[in-house]
Amino acid sequence: MILYTLRRLAAVIGVLIAVAAVTFLIFYVLPSDPAAAACGKSCSAERLAAIRAHMGLDQPLWRQFWDFLSGIFTGRTLGSGHYALRCHVPCLGYSYENSEAVWDLLMNRLPVSASLALGAAVLWLALGLSAGVVAALRKDTLTDRVLMVGAVGAASLPVYFTSMMLIYGLIRVAGLLPYPAYVPFGDDPARWASNLLLPWLALALLYAAMYARQSRSSMIEAMAEPYIRTARAKGLPRRTVVVKHGLRTGMTPILTLFGMDLGGLLAGAVITESIFGLPGIGQLFYGALSSGDQPVILGVTLLAATFIVVANLAVDLLYAVVDPRVRL
Amino acid sequence: MNKRTSTAFAVSLATALALGAAGCSGTNSADGRGRNPALAHQGAAIGGTPKRGGTLTVLSNQDFDHLDPARNWVMNTMDFGTRLLYRTLVTYQAAPGTKGGRLVPDLATDLGTSSNGAKTWTFHLKKGVRYEDGTPVTAQDIKYNVERSFSPDLPGGSDYAARYLAGADGYKGPADGKHLDSIKTPDDRTLVFELRKPFAEFPNATVMPTFAPVPQKRDTGPRYDNRPFSSGPYKIASYERGTRLVLVRNPHWDPRTDAVRKAYPDRLVVVMGLKPNQIDDRMIADQGADASAVPWYALRPESAAKVLSNAEARRRLLAESMNCTDMVQMDTGRAPFDNVTVRQAVQYALDKDAILTASGGPAFNDPSTAYMPAALFGGRQPDTLKIPATGAPAKARRLLKEAGKPDGFATEITVSSGDKGRAEAIQESLAKVGIKVTINTVDPSAFYATIGDTKNRTPLVYTGWCPDYASGSTFLPFVFDGRYIKEKGNTGNHSLFRDRPTMRRMDEIAAMTDARRANEAWQRLDGEILAKAPAVPVLVRRWPLVVGGNIAGAYGQTSYGGQLDYATVGLKDPSKSQS
Amino acid sequence: MSASPPAPDTNPDTNPDTNPGTNPGTDPETAAGPAVPSSPWQLVRRELRRRASVTVSLVIIGLFLVMAAAAPLLSALGGRSPDAFDKSAVDPYLGGMPIGPLGGISAAHWLGVEPVTGRDLFARVVHGAQVSLLIALSATAIVVVAGTLTGIAAGYFGGRTDAVLSRLMDLTMSFPSLIFMIAMMSVAKDVNRILLMTAVIGLFGWPGIARVVRGQTLSLKHREYVDAARVGGSGPWRILTRDILPGVAGPVIAYTTLIIPGMIATEAALSYLGVGVRPPTSSWGQMIAASVAFYDTDPMYFVIPSACLFLTVLAFTLLGDALRDILDPRGGRA
Repeated sequence: MILYTLRRLAAVIGVLIAVAAVTFLIFYVLPSDPAAAACGKSCSAERLAAIRAHMGLDQPLWRQFWDFLSGIFTGRTLGSGHYALRCHVPCLGYSYENSEAVWDLLMNRLPVSASLALGAAVLWLALGLSAGVVAALRKDTLTDRVLMVGAVGAASLPVYFTSMMLIYGLIRVAGLLPYPAYVPFGDDPARWASNLLLPWLALALLYAAMYARQSRSSMIEAMAEPYIRTARAKGLPRRTVVVKHGLRTGMTPILTLFGMDLGGLLAGAVITESIFGLPGIGQLFYGALSSGDQPVILGVTLLAATFIVVANLAVDLLYAVVDPRVRL
Repeated sequence: MNKRTSTAFAVSLATALALGAAGCSGTNSADGRGRNPALAHQGAAIGGTPKRGGTLTVLSNQDFDHLDPARNWVMNTMDFGTRLLYRTLVTYQAAPGTKGGRLVPDLATDLGTSSNGAKTWTFHLKKGVRYEDGTPVTAQDIKYNVERSFSPDLPGGSDYAARYLAGADGYKGPADGKHLDSIKTPDDRTLVFELRKPFAEFPNATVMPTFAPVPQKRDTGPRYDNRPFSSGPYKIASYERGTRLVLVRNPHWDPRTDAVRKAYPDRLVVVMGLKPNQIDDRMIADQGADASAVPWYALRPESAAKVLSNAEARRRLLAESMNCTDMVQMDTGRAPFDNVTVRQAVQYALDKDAILTASGGPAFNDPSTAYMPAALFGGRQPDTLKIPATGAPAKARRLLKEAGKPDGFATEITVSSGDKGRAEAIQESLAKVGIKVTINTVDPSAFYATIGDTKNRTPLVYTGWCPDYASGSTFLPFVFDGRYIKEKGNTGNHSLFRDRPTMRRMDEIAAMTDARRANEAWQRLDGEILAKAPAVPVLVRRWPLVVGGNIAGAYGQTSYGGQLDYATVGLKDPSKSQS
Repeated sequence: MSASPPAPDTNPDTNPDTNPGTNPGTDPETAAGPAVPSSPWQLVRRELRRRASVTVSLVIIGLFLVMAAAAPLLSALGGRSPDAFDKSAVDPYLGGMPIGPLGGISAAHWLGVEPVTGRDLFARVVHGAQVSLLIALSATAIVVVAGTLTGIAAGYFGGRTDAVLSRLMDLTMSFPSLIFMIAMMSVAKDVNRILLMTAVIGLFGWPGIARVVRGQTLSLKHREYVDAARVGGSGPWRILTRDILPGVAGPVIAYTTLIIPGMIATEAALSYLGVGVRPPTSSWGQMIAASVAFYDTDPMYFVIPSACLFLTVLAFTLLGDALRDILDPRGGRA
């Protein structure tokens, strides 16, 4: 188990280096020049060269990549002279746009994206799993039909549409909620929740529908497993069988799914953040992309990839705990 | 538009003769249906005089480009920075309408005194002006910030210092211990600037944030942008880039030294990263805490319908003219636009009406029939070509045939991403005569770098120009003098227009001593250039803002492109604002 | 990876193989279905005809496909090109709102007009269908072909080939795909947008199907009839095409139908974020993005492309569900 974990961790680092390398390559061919953008309106060739040197853009690609990688572990000094910036571990560089450390920017925005993802995840798990399990246990009844038709419908609704309808219904007409604006949890938990409720709903509706469908089929499959049939034949109460055995087996595929979804969402739900104007990592990324702020772009992709691979790793390790059939 | 307003229109050396309302008043509105409903508050403040206290909220979709005074050269950010956070030698009077263009001393005791034929300028500083830590503002600090603006590590700021100061060639800022000899500080409260050539309007340049003080020991280089040190009525309590900026009172700011800033609210909170259309919706709805809020950016064209059809919202609407002419500029140096007939075809083909609609309609824009905005024509632009506002495609096709391009041709246009709607209207009207246009949208932050690269840019660009003050000398030479063209970082003359007679005429007018005659000559030259069609003037925008119901003292400052004057805005009832 | 119906690799609907194929510890056998029935296609057709949902979805899909294919014809029928402005249909004094009720629906404009420009919505929706479906279907084709080939190769040849290909699948799935798609779309400027979007979407979609096929191949590889063929002297090429490929066809078809909605949604997401098609080209995502600002002042403008997107996604999902039940019963025994 320990050996396995170590091997997986090594693989995680390999994946992250690969992601960084690919991102580097993509933006090396970027036609727009971040130095020129920073140089502004009346930019002389001399000034441009100085800015390029300051940004380290005059170095060869492999050198820039190596400086970046080693900077994560050792920190690095950017620029020189009076204005040199000491970038501390873990150093992901400084934003070209606003000279903030990329790590600080990410950590500023992470609470927004995490609040959005975790809140929505709680909602969608609650809604999706209960709908799925109920439908599975009442297979082929009217309840099952209604739930599943609803789920297919909800999963097919474009999130833009759901979001705008929620805004229109709950904010404009009913006036129940404020226009979403992020309020830190620490400032005011009640306003944090009321401001995020709409984005949570919009995101959760979509995922809940998919989880309902998935959990229904895995539950049905699990309940048909021989050992569960045995348990029921032995006369164990239905409730015990469903909760102790059925759910446990049936939820393993859901776990995989959940790991990937949450991992992806933590690093920014680009569209939901864009629709509701939430200043999360997705917005940070989108803004950085349009202004060619390469250090920030790189930082976000690395963070996103980290969440995904770590979530996958966590899921695989959790299997050993949850699924009796799995031995690592 | 965003920074496009910004950078291009940043050059705002307006003199006493402000353009503002003078040019594009309601009577000149395009709609022809009588009064433009958007102009009810032209030249006036909304909401009466504010009461002291409370929190003013600013709703924004974006972060500031640069609050560092050495780097701040974007019109609305200059307004914000110089009205709230730092003071400059000279500034604009805080008043609605044309009065907003008047210069008044700020840190200085007067508007500066010149000697040596306007090549030497001397300013004396007021007593008792202090930073947020209580230390006094000194002449050395202003000199230091002017020097900072030369640093390659701190790009983005205005280049007036670089253009006019003597001995500034090759100077790279104070970071390596070198200083400029052409700025002298004989004592803590005296500044002497030595210029390389006479510049009678030098006080106009000293309204730039470049001429704000930065103490050397507070200078953190590029990171100063995130925490400028205050000499104004407010200081930064917290600044999370892209998310939120909170300003609180600077206890060491002394209103007795400051005739301009009123500093009514106790706090200002700028909420960033919001969805633009949700800002518009919130401002129109005006509910709860939003009544004490103002929008940072102008109303989206998409929201025009909601405001214009809502009498209550219209009462809270400001729409000052930006006084900048939007133009389609054609690369006159390359085929097919090196042919004047082809350029005239474009002139006749363009449907300005459709572009105007895409821009929010006649309530928020005035169509343009000349290059210089109306203020430079004494209030009304001439219409020398008499092209219908919807274009004349038949004539355009005839011109194309004459030019040997009966089937049109394919070309490309670069626009800032906020101008996509306008670009589509251009695309469609040119398509009607067979000119197939591909649209390149560029983020505002990269827009000027992209079109300023004369070798790699597209043949067409859509951009604007603002006169610095009401003289043709601040418009036509900047836009049409071929001698100012730079290979990279080119500005203004995006038509790459190198016309000898035009340049000769410009020199002649510049040498005229009679201002009236010179003015008439500029106006005539405008029409002469228009006939050669290096660019098509399209429209002059307004800067529509819907402010909250609890807002008072709000007007569009004509010197800052119609942005709200942050020197005077405040709340009617401070107790109603959210703390 | 975001709020859009997630990219195919994370979409449960698109992945009948939700058994932990990701987990090296599990038995690949659990991921594979049993052999398909002996005369599968007749059976399938009979089964399909039994279901009302299938008929409905086939009609919807057929309708949109015809619409997409005949887009120029249809908009000619309506008398409007998708790019032509109609200034008489909008009121410039009201910020360019369409004149008339329901977003300007009239005999001249069957679905009304776009605010500000007055472009004909019917023509734009029809041409948008062409772009959206073209991208979604070609991206699906790329994904299916690439995924099936890698899956079969990994499953059949095993050993080092399998190890390398499986690592590649893991790596691809670890990329934050939507973020990368946005990045790549915004970096590449002077290329055919439709082609690029297809390629970019396809690039990240293939590992899902490759895993399904790999599992299926592994289970088929040692079936008696395959062994018999091998003993009988058939070469690997013959075995792959004669025995393995037909065996994986069922799940692949079901899977294919189920990933199409994800592809359509991804195209819409990219266009929504402004990195998709260039003006004046329309696509459903582009139309939704443009219409969001008008959702309350001109609801029809917003509802029409949203409804098209909804119906198409719904139809493909229903059809895919049915196909999965029939072709890959274990994956969706429900």
